[in-house]
Amino acid sequence: MKDPYEVLGVSRTASESEIKAAYRNLAKKYHPDNYTDSPLADLAEEKMKEVNEAYDAIMQEKKNGGSAYGSAGGYGGSYNASSEYANVRVMIQQNRLDEAERILDGVTGDHSAEWYFLRGMCYYRRGWAQQAATHFQRACTMEPNNMEYRQALNNMTRQQGFGYGGYNTTGMNQQSQCGVCDICAGLMCMDCLCRGCC
Amino acid sequence: MFGYIRIQKSELLVREYDAYKAAYCGLCKRLGKDYSFVTRFILSYDCTFYSIFLMSVRRSCSGFKDGRCRFNPLKKCKFCQCTDDADSKAAALSVILAYNKLIDNIGDSSFFKRGLYKLVKPLFSRWRKKAAKRYPELDEIVSEMMMAQAEAESDPECGLDRAADPTATMLARVLELEAETESERRIYSQIGYGTGRFIYLIDAVDDYPDDVKSGNFNPFKDIQENKFDVMSANLSQAAASVFDAYNLLDTVDFRGIIDNIILRGLPSVQTEILDKVKEGLYEGSV
Repeated sequence: MKDPYEVLGVSRTASESEIKAAYRNLAKKYHPDNYTDSPLADLAEEKMKEVNEAYDAIMQEKKNGGSAYGSAGGYGGSYNASSEYANVRVMIQQNRLDEAERILDGVTGDHSAEWYFLRGMCYYRRGWAQQAATHFQRACTMEPNNMEYRQALNNMTRQQGFGYGGYNTTGMNQQSQCGVCDICAGLMCMDCLCRGCC
Repeated sequence: MFGYIRIQKSELLVREYDAYKAAYCGLCKRLGKDYSFVTRFILSYDCTFYSIFLMSVRRSCSGFKDGRCRFNPLKKCKFCQCTDDADSKAAALSVILAYNKLIDNIGDSSFFKRGLYKLVKPLFSRWRKKAAKRYPELDEIVSEMMMAQAEAESDPECGLDRAADPTATMLARVLELEAETESERRIYSQIGYGTGRFIYLIDAVDDYPDDVKSGNFNPFKDIQENKFDVMSANLSQAAASVFDAYNLLDTVDFRGIIDNIILRGLPSVQTEILDKVKEGLYEGSV
């Protein structure tokens, strides 16, 4: 196992708050949400695990054999198994894109929302983002209540706002996105709603 | 299609800026040494990024050496010292790309310019041969890309993704050459793919007004609604995928510079070019 201090990037004399801060930064960086649907999701998960283990080890050491710290590991998206294209989903997860695409493209007739979702996922994994966005959009329009499709589309939108939205917070010290104006606006909206009910 | 992968100077630390300049000057010097004085002119920010990336993942930059600039002997500058062939490889890629760009230009420029390009072609072809001899894999990857590009653009149904694919795949494969493990290969591949896609698309945005006038191929021509949103969304997405992949690397050398390029440089180039094109188009239509 790697040196836990090296993994967190802190010195051996670091205080508990420094360690916590370093852990939080890394956890934010490798958070599975940043890697939803990404072909590199498994690598991010490994990193996350490494960070969690390192944090646990250091905390254990600091507490001198005290109580174990609950690990936050065990992330990872699981596809729902009861689906028309279960085999395609497995292929996509294993990055066997050529096979998955062959099966999907072999389907004739009108396509289901799931077909659009999975076809979009193949495009996404290849980096063909424009096609992927169109396909996710289509899947969502066909089945607006499906969380899985919605999540894929949201993830896409998040990436498309790179550099302008809340994306570039990892690694850089930035203030949180909630400003005074947001709070005021929020309160005003709430006020309106309350008056509506009473 | 050069010079889009830049730093944002105002956000860099002074020592990082110095290191960046040293890498830039180091590559310039290497181009002069390996090829000829003239090849120093093809020095680009993109290949500097490649050189920095190589030095970062190989940990091969051993320090800086004082020297003087060839173009301005009064100016003192520092040069990066590499313990391996990182700068030579970046120089080779610059030469190979420049040659292919020249061939491309001969194909679609006016009569006089074409004559000029043809005049310098033998020189470039000699340098390219030299580079290809040293790094046959680089030359092979780039020539395959050129062929795939021509094929994609001749297809009238060619969408944006397919048009960007050859450039993106080329860079993905170029970076994959450095990988030692399977997970490194996948990470480098995504960094390369995203960067290549970004370069291709931003170049397409930049050329858009000219291409509309001259009738040349442009992947954004077929998009009817919200053209600028589509441009911006695709560019941002490419940059985001580069950043996601880069975050998984544990490199330390030049980290601040590469972070700056991905997080600040790419978005600012994107805004700059998009604004320029928007302004031009609106003026043109009024």
